[in-house]
Amino acid sequence: MAVEHREPGAELDRQFWIVTALIAIASLAWIAFALAWDITKVLPEAVRPADLIDALFRFLLAASGVVFIVVTTYVVYFSLRYRRRADDPPDAIGIQIHDHHALELWWTIIPTVLLVALGIFSVRIFSGIYLEQPTNGLTVEAIGHQWYFDFRYPGINGVITDEMHLPLGVPVTLHVTSQDVIHSFWIPADRIKADMVPGLINTLHFTPTHPGTYKIICTEFCGTLHSDMNKQIMVVQDDASFKKWYEGWKVKNAHASNALPGTGVSSASVNLAGGSAANGQKLFTSKCIACHGTGAFDAKVVGPGLKNVLHDPAHPQLLNGTPANEDDVAKLIKSGFTGAMGHMPSEAENSLSDKDIADLVAFLNTYK
Amino acid sequence: MAVAELHGGGIAEHVHPEPHGFIRKYIFSIDHKIIGLQYMITAFIFLVMGGMLAELIRVQLMSPHGTLVSNDTFDELYSVHGSTMVWLVIIPMLTGAFGNFVFPVQIGARDVAFPWLNMASFWMFPPAGLMLYGSFLMGAPTAGWTEYPPMSLQGAPGTSMWCAAIFLIGVSSTLTGINFLVTLLRMRAPGMTLTRMPLFCWAQLATAPLLMIATTALGAALAALFIERQFGVPFYDPTRGGSPLLWQHMFWFYSHPAVYIMILPAFGMISEIIPTFARKPIFGYRMIAFSSVAIALLGFMVWAHHMFTSGLSPALQLAFMLLTMTIAIPTGIKIFSWVATLWGGKIHFTTAMLFATGFIVTFTIGGLTGVYLAAVPFDLHAHGTYFIVAHLHYVLVGGSLMGIFAGMYFWFPKMTGRFMNETLGKWHFWLFMIGFNGTFIPMHWIGLLGQPRRVATYDPQFWSSNFAASLFSFIMTFAILLFFVNALWSIRRGKPAGHNPWGARTLEWQIPSPMPYYNFKKVPMVFASPYHFSDPLPYRGLEGELDPSVPAPVPAGHH
Repeated sequence: MAVEHREPGAELDRQFWIVTALIAIASLAWIAFALAWDITKVLPEAVRPADLIDALFRFLLAASGVVFIVVTTYVVYFSLRYRRRADDPPDAIGIQIHDHHALELWWTIIPTVLLVALGIFSVRIFSGIYLEQPTNGLTVEAIGHQWYFDFRYPGINGVITDEMHLPLGVPVTLHVTSQDVIHSFWIPADRIKADMVPGLINTLHFTPTHPGTYKIICTEFCGTLHSDMNKQIMVVQDDASFKKWYEGWKVKNAHASNALPGTGVSSASVNLAGGSAANGQKLFTSKCIACHGTGAFDAKVVGPGLKNVLHDPAHPQLLNGTPANEDDVAKLIKSGFTGAMGHMPSEAENSLSDKDIADLVAFLNTYK
Repeated sequence: MAVAELHGGGIAEHVHPEPHGFIRKYIFSIDHKIIGLQYMITAFIFLVMGGMLAELIRVQLMSPHGTLVSNDTFDELYSVHGSTMVWLVIIPMLTGAFGNFVFPVQIGARDVAFPWLNMASFWMFPPAGLMLYGSFLMGAPTAGWTEYPPMSLQGAPGTSMWCAAIFLIGVSSTLTGINFLVTLLRMRAPGMTLTRMPLFCWAQLATAPLLMIATTALGAALAALFIERQFGVPFYDPTRGGSPLLWQHMFWFYSHPAVYIMILPAFGMISEIIPTFARKPIFGYRMIAFSSVAIALLGFMVWAHHMFTSGLSPALQLAFMLLTMTIAIPTGIKIFSWVATLWGGKIHFTTAMLFATGFIVTFTIGGLTGVYLAAVPFDLHAHGTYFIVAHLHYVLVGGSLMGIFAGMYFWFPKMTGRFMNETLGKWHFWLFMIGFNGTFIPMHWIGLLGQPRRVATYDPQFWSSNFAASLFSFIMTFAILLFFVNALWSIRRGKPAGHNPWGARTLEWQIPSPMPYYNFKKVPMVFASPYHFSDPLPYRGLEGELDPSVPAPVPAGHH
């Protein structure tokens, strides 16, 4: 150590060691907290390897917290202790130390050891995620679109669903891709994501471990309604419920292969008495017209054209295979709709009232 | 002492003729100091514009269903905000502004190696900025500052303008890199060996090759995007045989080194400011200098850690994960060395020192979350969320911008001959720390709990954190306004500072403030590292610099 002159405070004195001891205590307390904290209280775990990733997160939290406590405490302590005082001569200088090889060696070695540990831990979990997952279970495909996801179960003859249902405990191989731009398929409860890249198939492996309903979120910017591409869900359920759902889709797909699936359509009905068609037309031209044209069904803007929607028996069926009727249309406007064509805002998002809906239905009814 | 052989073949003795007239002096100047100030003023103007975009973003996000702007406008706001802050504020500020203004004098040179090229570099910068903001007139880019295709292929016409603007600023960066590298290697004063260079010069020496080499990859990627958008040649469109991942590789092959372009010079500034105010030699000079070079080299080998979810092969992911983690080692060495420099000092807490000390803490947070993201399994969760937004702002605001403010308070007396107001400066520091941390700390957990980045509306469960972030961002903006008020007021009214108000020991502080166009009347000779506070200054030949009766040097045989 090249110390050119010494003065009081130049030694690692009692005070320094007291602060260091406090740092050690705070660090241990932090490590205990990081290891004991139940992450699932704030974010549920739905699958394996979510638990593995949480274990890695705990390790990172513990180690980085210690580094932060060490750096910040010493910065604050040295700043207070070695600040220039009013009675110091203006040309006072600090202790002229240039380096200390042992110390520098230690603060190279300790982080290196921590990083090697992190590297080994990460590689093990990495292989748990990518290489050790069983592949003999269910295969599901997710396809990104602007701005929704489709799911295909190769067991259901090539047809799409709008939710991802998975049986508990059965390993899943999930292939993801996109039909337009890049999306990213994230289920926070799964702790994993994969980009949906057009022309490329990425694969995730996991095994559902906790029943429940979990959000699926797009995390790669994909255009105007990227912010809304978070309405769809993964449902983890027992085998019997899954089979029921799966068989239901098989039947639905066999009988109504043109039906476009809807989600979460409200069952609360709207009182349609006294709807004003004139007012409905006004509302239609200020709101609905953004996505719906006034031509035939095929004259699509974003959503289908609405001519004759309530009067043409041949008009394609919008909701789960039944012809459109006033009540269904009202419910659809009330709850909004996310399906194969995209997302239609709900009553609240459109700032409509139930009376407005009655007016709109009255208008659509006159519209032949 | 054998110093003559280190003399740059007489280049350092070259003196430009004194510039006459406003235009030659201040507009089309070839003087590195004026060019540095031009960069600085321009970058500050863009900081204001980028900051206003940031506040529009925060106002929109004060409510889960924000209605200030439409989704499309929101996408324009953050895309131009990011592009502005990276390319028009931080990179020009740390290289063009502080690089130009400070390091040539620190190595005892009279200018950079290619002064005309330097002027050309600067004059590409304002047009690039105007082009970027002009893109609002034709529909600004919306796919973020990263502009991933195929999204950017669908973007409004302004996306092509964005390509051209960033290409131009890229050319400017490349030329600056060449200029700085040659200057640092060929123009040092006699005796200014590499290991006697101030650490800011080492930081610029590590940054220059990044500017020079990495930016060319960005240029190629941008040219391809422009050609695909305008002329339909498919580089990136997968339906016609292109590859969207090609862009990501080329973009990040530039943009990861660019992160180091944006932080290494700030490290260098901190390494100058801390010893000056602690009145102590920088602790572990060689390790700090070495770690800058190590970071720059490793910086070329880690780009794909931005692409862990894109579908890289597992082997590549592992390689990039482990290489990325190694960067924490040289970065840690720097942080620990700064902390050790504080130990046993006589620390004078000027505003510059407050910012430098605050930098150690805030940058540490950004550096640590970087290690989180290096670990592939964790990145699979956090990628594309607000956790990334928090991390990158801790690096670029808690790191780069804090460094810029530290540097401003430190070198302002050298630029103007006057101090900035210390009381206002301290308000600026404390309000900025409160505002900045309050804005970005909540983003860590809202990201991990499920808020993706680049969204105009969000899940109402995240309302309180977003609302708090917005409120704190107003405090941060107010603090930055205080800085501008302070700077503008101090240019004319600040307390006169003399030539070396901080008792600093590097060469720029041994000549008058503002510095004369020739820098040194006589190029000094250097005998030791500048950081020995108990020794006399290690320079010879500076006797006449502050003496007005010694005449300015005469240019000989100038073109």
